[in-house]
Amino acid sequence: MILKQNFLAALLFVGAAGFAQEVEFTEFDLDNGLHVILHEDKTAPVVSTSVMYDVGGKDRINGKTGFAHFFEHLLFEGTENIEKGKWFEIVSSNGGTNNANTSNDRTYYYEIFPSNNLELGLWMESERMMHPIIKKEGVDTQNEVVKEERRSRMDNSPYGNLLQSVAGAMFEKHPYKDPNIGYMEDLDAATLDEFKEFFDTYYVPNNAVLVVAGDIDVSDTKKMVKDYFGDIPKGEEVKRNFEMETPMTKEVRTTTYDSNIQIPASILGYRTPSFTEKDSYVLNMISDYLSDGKSSILYKKLVDEQKQALQVAAFNLEQSDYGMYLIFALPLGETSLETLNTEMEEEISKLRNELISEKDFQKLQNKAENAYVNSNSSVAGIGESLATSYLLYGDTNLVNEEIDIYRSITREDIKRVATEYLKPSQRVVVDYLPESQKAE
Amino acid sequence: MMKNYIIAFAVFLFTANMFAQIDRSVMPKPGPAPQVNVEEPENFDLDNGLEVLIVENHKLPRVSMSLRLDNPPIFEGDKAGVTSLMGSLLGSGTATMTKDAFNERVDFLGARMNFYSGGASANTLSKYFPEILKLMADAAINPYFTEEEFSKAKERQIEGIKSNDKNVAFIASRVRSALAYGKDHPYGEFVTAESVESVTLDDVKKFYQTYYSPQHAYLVIVGDVDEDEVKDLVKKNFSSWKKTEVPETNMPEVTNLGKTQIDFVDMPNAVQSEISVVNTIKLKKKDPDYFPVLVANKILGGGGEARLFLNLREDKGYTYGAYSSTGNDKYASTFTASASVRNAVTDSSVVAFLDEIYKIRKEKVSAAELANAKAKITGDFVLSLEQPSTIANFAYEVETEDLDDDFYKDYLEKIDEVSVEDVQRVAQKYFQPDNARIVVVGKGSDVLENLEKIQYNGKSIPIKYYDKLADAASKPEKKTVDASVSIDKVYENYINAIGGKEAVSKVESVVMIAQGQIQGMTLDLEMKRTTDGKLLQNVSMGGNVMQNQVFDGEKGSMTMQGQKIPYNEEQIAAAKIDANPFPELSVGSATLSGIEQVDGKDAYVVNVDETTKAYYDVGSGLKTQVVKTVSQGGQTMTVPTGYSDYQEVNGVKFPFMMTQSMGPQKLEFKVSEIKVNEGINEGDFTVE
Repeated sequence: MILKQNFLAALLFVGAAGFAQEVEFTEFDLDNGLHVILHEDKTAPVVSTSVMYDVGGKDRINGKTGFAHFFEHLLFEGTENIEKGKWFEIVSSNGGTNNANTSNDRTYYYEIFPSNNLELGLWMESERMMHPIIKKEGVDTQNEVVKEERRSRMDNSPYGNLLQSVAGAMFEKHPYKDPNIGYMEDLDAATLDEFKEFFDTYYVPNNAVLVVAGDIDVSDTKKMVKDYFGDIPKGEEVKRNFEMETPMTKEVRTTTYDSNIQIPASILGYRTPSFTEKDSYVLNMISDYLSDGKSSILYKKLVDEQKQALQVAAFNLEQSDYGMYLIFALPLGETSLETLNTEMEEEISKLRNELISEKDFQKLQNKAENAYVNSNSSVAGIGESLATSYLLYGDTNLVNEEIDIYRSITREDIKRVATEYLKPSQRVVVDYLPESQKAE
Repeated sequence: MMKNYIIAFAVFLFTANMFAQIDRSVMPKPGPAPQVNVEEPENFDLDNGLEVLIVENHKLPRVSMSLRLDNPPIFEGDKAGVTSLMGSLLGSGTATMTKDAFNERVDFLGARMNFYSGGASANTLSKYFPEILKLMADAAINPYFTEEEFSKAKERQIEGIKSNDKNVAFIASRVRSALAYGKDHPYGEFVTAESVESVTLDDVKKFYQTYYSPQHAYLVIVGDVDEDEVKDLVKKNFSSWKKTEVPETNMPEVTNLGKTQIDFVDMPNAVQSEISVVNTIKLKKKDPDYFPVLVANKILGGGGEARLFLNLREDKGYTYGAYSSTGNDKYASTFTASASVRNAVTDSSVVAFLDEIYKIRKEKVSAAELANAKAKITGDFVLSLEQPSTIANFAYEVETEDLDDDFYKDYLEKIDEVSVEDVQRVAQKYFQPDNARIVVVGKGSDVLENLEKIQYNGKSIPIKYYDKLADAASKPEKKTVDASVSIDKVYENYINAIGGKEAVSKVESVVMIAQGQIQGMTLDLEMKRTTDGKLLQNVSMGGNVMQNQVFDGEKGSMTMQGQKIPYNEEQIAAAKIDANPFPELSVGSATLSGIEQVDGKDAYVVNVDETTKAYYDVGSGLKTQVVKTVSQGGQTMTVPTGYSDYQEVNGVKFPFMMTQSMGPQKLEFKVSEIKVNEGINEGDFTVE
């Protein structure tokens, strides 16, 4: 009987391991240093062409902020062979979609086309990397657009400065202290030469990864990539030397006012390790435990049972140099921010002092796995995962191994990470208040 | 030195080579239309008839599975509703598991599972596939039907039917099918409260035993599975499913009319007319005409770039959207062109529909239209292929629709082959305006007069009348206002009904606090009005003001998302009317225009101004509805607000329930507090 059970257990184990997801890919460098990753998947005649540049909000020129995000806009203005204003038209009239986004750590541009337009996608991305038009006219246009974006996303939007209020308090020296979108006075003061210099520094093949994913022929695609990207000149090696922070030793309290809100918010912020660390994955799991779904700990307690909060959310803002772990709550009725903070800390202290239940733990594993599986359900999603794995994590194959990291997490890890990083003595507490409460 | 030369030479060669191959000053042309890689399913049968299709796809560790019963359509007759009742009871427990235990287990595994009368479906991580498949099989093969769950399901279904009784779009769709196919056809019959009422738990059990059979069943499994493992698991879990012979249904032949007619259903509450031009067609997916029809329909009414949309919406602004569709069901289907249009343009819309349908038959489409339609169909097809469920659907259709194995592989090629001549040929064959029914469901008192006047190609179109159950009816009569009733009388009755002139004249201000629900969120509404014509309105969500309006009697402004916009002249005029809590105290330019029904009750209709109509109940005298016509971005919409649940505050009755409809959305506001002559603060009405 015992033998039989062992045999079954072994079978189950093999089963679980054998079902691991496998994203196959080929990768190589061009002579100019451009790293290329090709993922062939002929399930659907769809192809995604994308370039991730190793440049983000943290990168400056002469101390000026907001450049990477600005370039996210500027690099749609046109190239030597793509007329100004035609970019989007070309994409849509060929049955595709496209967009771009910028974080503190990287910028990502992509197109998704029916696969017979693979060459078009490569041409467009190579045009963008090789010789975009950077002229005063385009800079002026995009400066207005970016200001509008800043107004609608931050200045005019309820709780729009929330992230910045925490970042400003959590970092003193590292560029993460400043907003990703930048300060408008920096962009206004930036010269055309500075834009050109920024482009020449960061938007070079040796500082980027090109990913082509979908219905492709690998050797044809290799050749096309060489044809379109091979003659783009290599740039200088990008060097960064950011000043790092000294560890926090006591709580930092700060108050921010927002004219777009009536209900205040409380935010607890914790400085956490880089997203390449296992502990960052553990923090993602802690977020699920605290606030994902109606059975999560903080939701059940503060929103459902005690009716003290309108809303509560915990999330791990994963970044390259430091992460930011945020717990955010809106009070309901007469509840004070202090009460909310006490109630939230009570649950975090349980994480530090007790192991979560086996059943909750298993549910977290299932959730993590579901999220992971679904993040790679389209070629566009896989393209971005491959680019991220290579450029930010330094290991393309992480796309296949990330789930193993989650699987390796134990209940003890959760307790350890909570103890190490989610401490009251190392937190930022932001009272995020309506402008009307500003003392006269 | 030598080495350097070699490198330089190599670099030179490389570059030269490249220039020979591409010219980047020219935009690359698309390659040939991609051949679609539709995976071949593996398949096997169980002895009980269940056919299993497996699409192995190991890209992701997940599995989707669906059980589909390809039974012929079932005619339910006077037990209509038994099919859906049976479907809704599946999954509520099995012979060995309670409903709660079953649901909890599925949730814990992070899976999703649904059951319906024609089968079941589930998605799961592949490692839980064996358990999910077992749970699905158990619920499908060993369902536990209880009286308790049965009566709950029955109640829900009857509630659903009742809630749709005034839903013009719902009635229109029901009547359209009933008339096109005939009520004696499975596709034409429909469920009523009476038919559901007559269904018993025994009927459901019997229905399950008769039709939930593996005889025509397919189990389609897509994802990270191993064929041999699936075989074992399916055999283990589904072999006990007993085969029963599903009875064949004799369906009446569907027909079309000898001559076009309008089929009218009167719904006095309609603020829009539901128009559909419909004829039955015989078109199967395997027919050579399938692809040309797809293209022809795309050009006529297949989306926002199609002719019907461009004509009825973009050009004329009659509707939010006008579309057409062609079915390809293997038993029977229809061509349908439809739209919801403003009452006032019902007749013009009918003409516009006929114009477009005749035109695509008479004239060849342009090469550009053809190319765009093909590009659109191609793009839609390509994108859909990213979902594994699409591949499963294809595999299933190849089996059940008797298609060539290469049907979906050749799909894009077939689309590409369609010519302008093909489009015209199939338009003439399948779009049949000479033999169509034009089903119009709308407000007779507003639209009938003009419908009767339609002359098309020099001929009028006969109108037949039906009721909401698609039975022949007589022409609705138009009610007239008794000569003794005037606008003054209607207003006087209203003032008396809410408390009398004396009580009303003591009111100087009204503060109203109300809450509404939208998409699960609570909207708070605060409105302050004074009898000297000032207004303040705040709409907030979770304490944050979404919209604020202030009017001081002369000027006003609206603030949304931090942006303040002063009122224009039209808004000032509207605010002057809205600010007054009792506009009925003076008649002004209002006129009495007739009697119509509001929620089945006769009401006097008062034209307050060009864009506002108020309705006063003939019996109680109370105001039951206000309908405003608003124009926004070239679209004209009617927005009705219903008033009910009148309650007395300080001797005056106020409505405590307000219902507003905006297109298909319905917003109910419940008043929580009304304050009379208090709660106004200094500065409330200050416009900066």
